[in-house]
Amino acid sequence: MEGYEDISPLPLDTGFKDELCQIMYTDEYRMVVGTARALMERREYSERAKELTGRVIDLAPAYYTAWNYRFDILMHLANGNAELLNQELEWIDEVTLNNPKNYQIWSYKEAVLKNHPSPSCKRELPILQLMLDDDTKNYHVWSFRKWCILFFGDFTHELAYTEMLLERDVYNNSAWTHRMFVLKYTSPSNDHLLEEIEFVKAKIKLVPQNVSVWTYLRGLYENFFNANYDDRIVQFTKNFTHGVEDEQAEMNVNVEVESSFALEFLAHVYTLRGGAMIPKAIQAYKGLATRYDPIRKNMWERKIAKITAS
Amino acid sequence: MSSQLSSFQNSTPKLLGRKRSPTERIVPSEEESSSGSEESVVAMVKEMDTETTEARDKLIYECRLLLERDESNTLNKEFHRRYLDSPFSHPLPPGMVALDASAPWLLYWIANGLRTMNQSWLKTETQYRIQEKVFRVNPHGGPFGGGLGQLPHLAGTYAIVNALAICDNVEGCWDKINRTSIYDWLLSLKREDGGFQTCLGVGEYDTRGIYCAISIASMLGLLTQELCENVVEFLIHCQNYEGGFGGVPHEDEAHGGYTFCAVASLAILGALDRIDVEKLTDWCSQRQYNDEKGLSGRSNKLVDVCYSFWVGGTAAILEAYGYGNCINKAELKEYILKCCQMETRPGIRDKPGTRPDFYHTNYGLLGVAITENSFQLDPRVSNSLKIDSFIINPIDNSVLEPINPVYGLPSSDLEKFYKHFK
Repeated sequence: MEGYEDISPLPLDTGFKDELCQIMYTDEYRMVVGTARALMERREYSERAKELTGRVIDLAPAYYTAWNYRFDILMHLANGNAELLNQELEWIDEVTLNNPKNYQIWSYKEAVLKNHPSPSCKRELPILQLMLDDDTKNYHVWSFRKWCILFFGDFTHELAYTEMLLERDVYNNSAWTHRMFVLKYTSPSNDHLLEEIEFVKAKIKLVPQNVSVWTYLRGLYENFFNANYDDRIVQFTKNFTHGVEDEQAEMNVNVEVESSFALEFLAHVYTLRGGAMIPKAIQAYKGLATRYDPIRKNMWERKIAKITAS
Repeated sequence: MSSQLSSFQNSTPKLLGRKRSPTERIVPSEEESSSGSEESVVAMVKEMDTETTEARDKLIYECRLLLERDESNTLNKEFHRRYLDSPFSHPLPPGMVALDASAPWLLYWIANGLRTMNQSWLKTETQYRIQEKVFRVNPHGGPFGGGLGQLPHLAGTYAIVNALAICDNVEGCWDKINRTSIYDWLLSLKREDGGFQTCLGVGEYDTRGIYCAISIASMLGLLTQELCENVVEFLIHCQNYEGGFGGVPHEDEAHGGYTFCAVASLAILGALDRIDVEKLTDWCSQRQYNDEKGLSGRSNKLVDVCYSFWVGGTAAILEAYGYGNCINKAELKEYILKCCQMETRPGIRDKPGTRPDFYHTNYGLLGVAITENSFQLDPRVSNSLKIDSFIINPIDNSVLEPINPVYGLPSSDLEKFYKHFK
């Protein structure tokens, strides 16, 4: 292989007959990965070695050993040099766009940023946006975005960004959880939280049957209001259950609800309130068990049993 | 009241994203309501067409066609056996080079799928060849990497330890495992806050790494206080407001895979009482959808057969520890058998519209085992290594090996293995 003539590639298999699950490597793969192995064995930390790890990653992105070797090479070559590390970040971006589901990229990128003398949040966000435009629920990208925001301590763009994504798809649970991440790390004012609840209510009015938004609403109350559900939120929720939680509802079997999650939310709040609200909670759970979310019957019946016992 | 409610026992509410105008309501007719034989439709109005509803609508349509069929309600074991036998008798095509660092997973998925269907289907000769491959690639006996010349990795070591555990100690292979060296390596991967990095140098740092480390250590009798320090605290902080667990403790989205890893680890460490179990059971139960009947890995994401194990297994662990069963096992089984088996191809697929692969076949089979059994901790030894399973319905049963949901292994193999290192 040009530029590596002095290196004899190491084997990729043990060579014994009938090896289980043996992949039929192409000649190119044997040459590239075998040479990288040989360089690694020699602990060669050179430009050509780095270049070769890039070729291995190109052929098999999940070949984590090449990522680790590349990191060692980079640390030897760059030694805190911002320009070289920036070049590396460019290279990572390219690999990222071609391998949106890869596991290795993100911890590698974290390690590069941690070793960069002047890392920039501004540089990182556009590529993440590009990735999420293409796959709005990509778990690795969201998790890395959170790491990035914490690393740089810059939360300024996050709420607006998730708002945009929720306009595009109000069901995007990743965007909802990202909002909670922002709130929990930024100690929002009471006014801000009340605004957030209004934001949530508007999204519920838009689409009431959406698990993400009801879970988020409950999360807001639990994290910031000590699970103290006021009458206004109860009244609001009742707009979507049409009174099926009221005991007389049993008389009208054709009552519709607009959201089983609203009913679930209400049942939970009534359970917390206790006393005269308990029959309503039970009625709501019965409705869920028999009609509005019957696949979870087990759960609803357990909740009824628990309430009844206490 | 009860008679009126019971007439709706078979009703199936439509939850999300049917193709219809936002104002349309479908109200069950009196006839349907009273007979109870026809599906009465409870429409939840007002929806928006988004990427989420588009993908889900399509899948619901495909699932419904399959679920409505009467036949194909059995696990086609002989067929899947053929699928899993083939990679043990033929080399894998060059296109599978993407899995070059995942050879240990292939060994575990394939061997475990066979073993779970029938103990004797993992032949002694194959067991011999598994350990032969493992120790030729890793002559020092571990920690293990993905293949020749690859660095030791938590996922690879987990998969190899699991694969060896179902090999009946052929050729004394269990004694070839270098426990001392594995233990020192595990300690070297650990950070102060209680997590484990998958690999020295750079590597992912999340609940997945913790599960691999804790599972390996518990099976090999290496679960020391030093190794476990702060692990529980790390995991507790991964539970987010949704009730499930994310990968890391910074309010990551709750996810089926990371949730399993966290919950199985907490079970091994005897710390399930340190988390909000009620929220967790709510979240697990919320993963099951009325239309498809399968489990999803996150809110508003599609069902996928692998979550029959990641989420179903979490539910089974909670059941074993006395928190009750929170999923609908019978309906989940319908999804696996009717939507994820094909007549034309052996193996189990993720969902209609995809092709079977070894990963989904193994976790689909483990999923079936979870749906057909109830789980209980052995009352004499409160230890995750000893979970008993009891067949729920002996008539409608696929006759799979009893499995331990914490480890994803047949219980009898697990027991022999860990006792060997006691």
